[in-house]
Parts: sequence; structure tokens; C-alpha cells
Amino acid sequence: MTDPGAHIPLDEMKPWNDRLQLLEVIGIADEAPEVKTFTFRADARTWFRYQPGQFITLELPRTEGVLMRTYTLASSPSRPFAIAVTVKAQPTSVGTRWMFDHLKLGDRIKAFGPAGRFTHCAHPASKYLFLSGGSGVTPMMSMLRWFQDCAPATDVAFVHCAHRPEDIIFRKELELLDGRMPRLALSFMVHERSKRDCWSGHVGRIDAARLKLFAPDLHEREVFCCGPEPFMAVVRELLGAAGFDMRHYQQESFGAPVLEDVPAPQSATSEEAGGSPAEGATPVLFALSAVEAECPPGQTILQTARACGVRIASACESGLCGTCKVRKLSGDVTMNDNGGILDEEIDEGFILACCSHPRGKVEIEA
Amino acid sequence: MSNLIRTRKPGHALQQPFYIDPEFFKVDMELIWYRDWLFVGHDCEVKKPGNYFTVQVGAYPVVVVRDREGRIRAFHNTCRHRGSRVCTSAKGGSARLVCPYHQWTYDLDGKLLFARQVADDFDPAAHSLKPVACESVGGYIFICLASEPADFAPFRQVMAPYFAPHRLTEAKIAHEETTIEKGNWKLVWENNRECYHCAANHPELCKTYSEAPTMTGVSGTDSDPEMVEHWTRCEAAGLPSRFNIDAAGQYRATRAPLLPGTESYTMTGKRAVRPNLSDQVNTDRIGSLMLFHYPTTWNHVMIDHAVTFRVIPISAEETALTTKWLVHKDAVEGVDYDLQELTHVWTATNHEDRRIVEENAFGIRSPAYEPGPYSQVHEGGTEQFVDWYVSFMASRLGGQKKPGLKDVA
Ligand code: FES
Ligand code: FES
Ligand SMILES: [Fe+2]
Repeated sequence: MTDPGAHIPLDEMKPWNDRLQLLEVIGIADEAPEVKTFTFRADARTWFRYQPGQFITLELPRTEGVLMRTYTLASSPSRPFAIAVTVKAQPTSVGTRWMFDHLKLGDRIKAFGPAGRFTHCAHPASKYLFLSGGSGVTPMMSMLRWFQDCAPATDVAFVHCAHRPEDIIFRKELELLDGRMPRLALSFMVHERSKRDCWSGHVGRIDAARLKLFAPDLHEREVFCCGPEPFMAVVRELLGAAGFDMRHYQQESFGAPVLEDVPAPQSATSEEAGGSPAEGATPVLFALSAVEAECPPGQTILQTARACGVRIASACESGLCGTCKVRKLSGDVTMNDNGGILDEEIDEGFILACCSHPRGKVEIEA
Repeated sequence: MSNLIRTRKPGHALQQPFYIDPEFFKVDMELIWYRDWLFVGHDCEVKKPGNYFTVQVGAYPVVVVRDREGRIRAFHNTCRHRGSRVCTSAKGGSARLVCPYHQWTYDLDGKLLFARQVADDFDPAAHSLKPVACESVGGYIFICLASEPADFAPFRQVMAPYFAPHRLTEAKIAHEETTIEKGNWKLVWENNRECYHCAANHPELCKTYSEAPTMTGVSGTDSDPEMVEHWTRCEAAGLPSRFNIDAAGQYRATRAPLLPGTESYTMTGKRAVRPNLSDQVNTDRIGSLMLFHYPTTWNHVMIDHAVTFRVIPISAEETALTTKWLVHKDAVEGVDYDLQELTHVWTATNHEDRRIVEENAFGIRSPAYEPGPYSQVHEGGTEQFVDWYVSFMASRLGGQKKPGLKDVA
């Protein structure tokens, strides 16, 4: 293996191969209370190929059993030699808590991906509106970092909501970006002030009046929204009421629903980073295999199946190709597909396992 | 082939190699089947986005699919990765077209959306499914494999007004059936284009279908007073009916009366389906709207149902004939129609025709076979088909002499 400090030109390097290469922890940094950034690399001859906003799945080798956890990359592919995830440990977090307690510099873990369609690359536009809540900031950060490096004149209105001022992840870096990117309009909003940090910005929750203030030309923008489900529900409602064309609305999928009052929202596609205090694991029964498994908050049915040795065919793992289509025999799921399934198939009880999260006990024909 | 075409005796059947020689068959495929517009199926078979059906034309597997915008598209059914067929069943519904081999995933407009772990410089945009020209008119989907398809507009212009009132776009397929006939595709056509054989061979069809040569043939129709009376009456009711044939003879539409007192191809002559095929057509005694389009289709549209036929060659001596019975979309089997009653006449007729074609093919294989003359009274339609074939082939083979088309208009 080459020396981590060695510099090798990009064109002499190869992209990371998730089948063959582990990730090595090269940085752990505090971002906010209970929020850390973990930085990984493969080796000095490897770079990472992804689109800003995509996610990665980490395989966390707990002694009680392997956990698969999905985290949005906060890093930018414009700095391709390392990747980073920024995660928040909630009181109920299992995976993220494990990372906080066990991952040390130099540790090596297995990972898969990156994947996902929550990226401006998949929805190019002349202007963007980013709306994030809590650790839903991570995909936005990735896209903004990329814009800063590669397209600093991009027009982005960015509204980030957090519980208290000190919970704003990446606050300093965002303020710095705001100064450097002429057409970035940054707004923060907190639910409550705190004694620790003085605050002169917006207080409260996002509403129609504020949305208009943040983005008067809303209808010309491609909207990206990421945060806890209640936050996204409010945003969808506001957009709907404003007559926004929802074909230009993109949101990052979340695991289990989160209570409105949970201060810090979870990270994209993962309950783990944000965690939801009210949620525990959900029972999932794989009928043909006669296996009863537990789906930890934020895990997909496909991940749960894998963790307990039930084989469900998959390919894209992003709700696109339909390979992981299985019949749901009972129960409810939240499915965030990317068009890989027909409405009739949904009516017939099929789901895409790779992008479905159980809502209460479910039974799957697999 | 050019030689045999040049020396063909007008008014006579073709020489033996046209019906049995694999080399001649290859030329037919190249010059006609890979170049012309071919009827492949109906709009109502791909009702919703993601519905598809597949069809094999010679060496070409093709998939026809309705995209998310509701447009019907056709693609070469061969994966841009290593070539696997992407859609493997005859019909289906799928949100995406996913190759079964390595799950390359194409959107319904053919764009490659996802390919697992490919090279960094891989360009998905350069790996869309290859499109096949596709048009739909009056509920019929046509494809053309040529890279520069002939203009479809003239045919559309002729066909659309005849078919529009019958609303086949929104019909339902009550039944379909494919038979393999062991005979060259041209024999299937030659047999279809005359009713000289009907009296002795088609007891079921003859209950309702007139053997008069003006029914099946292509000449003298205008001077048949019964025919003219029928057209006038139907046209007064807003149904285009008059005999209309393409200058090159490739297609013809006309509406002809059935035998007096009959309405539909059933054993009793009574209608087989309670609701009318189209909510828009309520006139009595409209007979049958008949369309042929070489080389793939002939059709009958009655008041209560339609029967459509699709010819696809398999080899020099084998042809697949697919028959579909279309009824009103809300008609319920067992309530509004009895399937057996609906399909009886044409199932029996197809069966009889298959036997005829196979016997014909059998005899033609004899070294003693020599093309004989067509009946001028009864076989004008067959002669017209063969003339069309010969003239198409001659022009495409670059033959200098374009055999004169019989005066058909
Ligand atoms: S694996 Fe492609 S949709 Fe689930
Ligand atoms: S041949 Fe189609 S994905 Fe490999
Ligand atoms: Fe016949």
C-alpha cells in the first residue's frame, strides 16, 4: 500500500471499487453537539467517483451482528481522493452510536455505492432552491461544495433549518461560501434561540411568508429538499399551496417517520444519522424463507433481508430498475422509488425492496 | 430472381423457387420485410405506459412499448451491453425495460438509465436502445425496420377516415390465436386474395360472406349496383366506404355488404357481441370494412366486432398467421358474448385455409409443378397481389422492366 501522504496525479489513479477495496478512516471531526464527520479514503492510488448528493452504504461490523447503514456523502467529488459522511447520533441510534464509540483512525470497513438520484446532476436547472432540516444539510453541502469548486456562479437559494443556533452543521463553512459565491443566498432559521450563541437570524418554522422571502422566484427554481419527513411534508404543502410544479421538486428519502418535535432532523436516507426517538426496530417476516428479522430504523427491506441471509435480487439499489420487486403480503411500507415500478404493480401489492422502509410490521414474500 | 421476374407469364402464378427457395426467401426479407411498413399489433394491446409486446421479423426481434407520455414506440430488442433480448415475453408491463442478463435498465423512451459498474468513461447516452420507426393509425401499430422508412402519410391518409369511427384504439382483444402454416408467405396471401376456393372449403364463412368476386377482388366493384348502394347508404351515415386502392397496389380499403339478413361472421349470421364495437357506429347492415396492406395484414370490421390478421414469415416454407378478435372494451365474456360463438367462423376458416395453403405448398414442391393461369373472373385479387409483389421486387432488384400493373383502380 502506498503512503497516505503521497501525491499521485489523478490520471494515474483508479476509481474505488466497492467489491474489492475497504475504506480507511482518516479523519474524525466534531461538527456540532452529537454530530461528527468521518472521512475515509481507500489508498493513495484510488479516487472516488460519484455525484454530489449521492449516498453510500457502510457495513458496520458490530459484535452483535453486521449493520448496514446508508449515509449521504457530505464531501464533493471535486475533491475526489477522500469521502466524508457527517452524522448525528440520536439517543436511539444504533449504527451511528456504534460509529461514535468504536471507529478510530486507521480502522477499515466495507462500504457499497455510491448511489442515488438526489443530485443536481440528475436534475440540471439554471437556478436551485435547497431546503434542508437538521442533518438533511449533508447532500446540500456536497452540492454546494461542488458548485464552489466547479461552478461558483451558480444561482442557489439555500434555506437551512435547525433546532438551535449551535445545532447548525457547517455554519462557518456555509457563511464562508456565502461570501465567495456571488449568487448563493444563504438563510438560516432556528426553532429556538440559545444562551450559548447569539442569534440575529430567523426564528420559528418555515411558512408561506418566509418561503416567499427566501425565494421570490420560486417557480423558476429546481427544488431540493432534505430533512425529517414532517419538515419535508410542510415544504411540500407550502409548495403545493404556492402552485409549484412538483415535477421540479426533488426530495431525499428518509427512513421511519420522525416526530415533528424532534429537534435535529436525520440525515438523508438514514434514520441513523438523525434518529427518531420514538422508533425502534420493526419486525419483518420473510414468508418463503420463514425468517423473522428486525429492520432497524432507516434500513430498507433489502438491507434487512441481506442482514439475515434472505436473497432478494437487486441491481441499482435506487428504485430504478425494478430488479428487487417483491410482493408484500401484509403491512405498510414507505417506498421512495425512482420510477422502477408501475402503479398497477403497486396495486397488486408489489414493492421495491431496495427503497422501501417498513411502517410497522410487514410480511414479505421472499 | 430477376430473370424469373422478367420472364414471368402475366396472369400466371409464380415459378417454384419463389415459394420454396431459401435464397429467394432471403431476398424477400431484405427487399420487402426489412424495408416496408409492417402491421405488428394494436394500440389497445399497449393500453398503459409500460405495456409492451414483442415481435420477431426475420432476424430482428422488436419490442413495442407505450412510453410515459403515452406515445407508442418501437425498439430493436437487443441490449446495448452484450446483446441479450431485453424483453423476453410476448407481452408484459414494466416500469422500465430491464435486461435480464445484467440488468441494464432502459427508460420507456429507450434511454439507458442505469448500468452497473461500468467504465468511468462510459457514456449512457450513447447506449440507448436503437429505435425502430413506429406509427399508429386507426388503432393499428405499424413498424418499419428500414433506416429510411417510406413516407407513412399517404397510407395514413387513406386508412384513418375509414377506421376512425370504429374506435379500435379503445377496443379490447377478446381472443387471439397464432397458427403456423407450412407454406411460403405469398401462398398465404394468394389464398386470401380470392374466394374462388370458398364454396368448397369454407362452409362456415359462406353463411355470411358473399363469394362474388367483387367482394374479395379488386376490379369491377364500382359497377356492382349492390356494392354501390351499400357504399351510398353507409357514407350517408358518416362511414367512409367506397373502394379505395393505392396506386402501387399495396393497400386497399372498402366496405362491403354481407349476405342479406346477416350482420356478422357467425354461424347464424347474427351479431356475436351485444354492445356495438364502437359507441359511434350504430347504423344497421354496415357489412364489413375490409382493409389489406401488403405484406402483413387483412382485416374485417363489423358492427359488433373486428377480426384482424397479421402475416409474419418464418422461413421459405413457413408462415405465422396471428388472428385477433376485437370487441368493445366494456363487453364482458360470457355475458355480452360467447367466446366460442365469436371465434368459431374464423377459427374454422383459418384452419381450412391452413390446409389449403399447405396442400398448395405440397404440390408446388413437385418438379412437375408449372404455374397455371388465374381465373380472370375470380382471381383478380390474387393476380393483383402477385403483380404487386413482382413489381416491387423488380424495382428493388434494380430490374429495368417494371412489369405492368393490372389496371386496378
Ligand atoms: S434494485 Fe433496482 S429497483 Fe431495487
Ligand atoms: S446483455 Fe443486457 S445487461 Fe448485459
Ligand atoms: Fe380461405
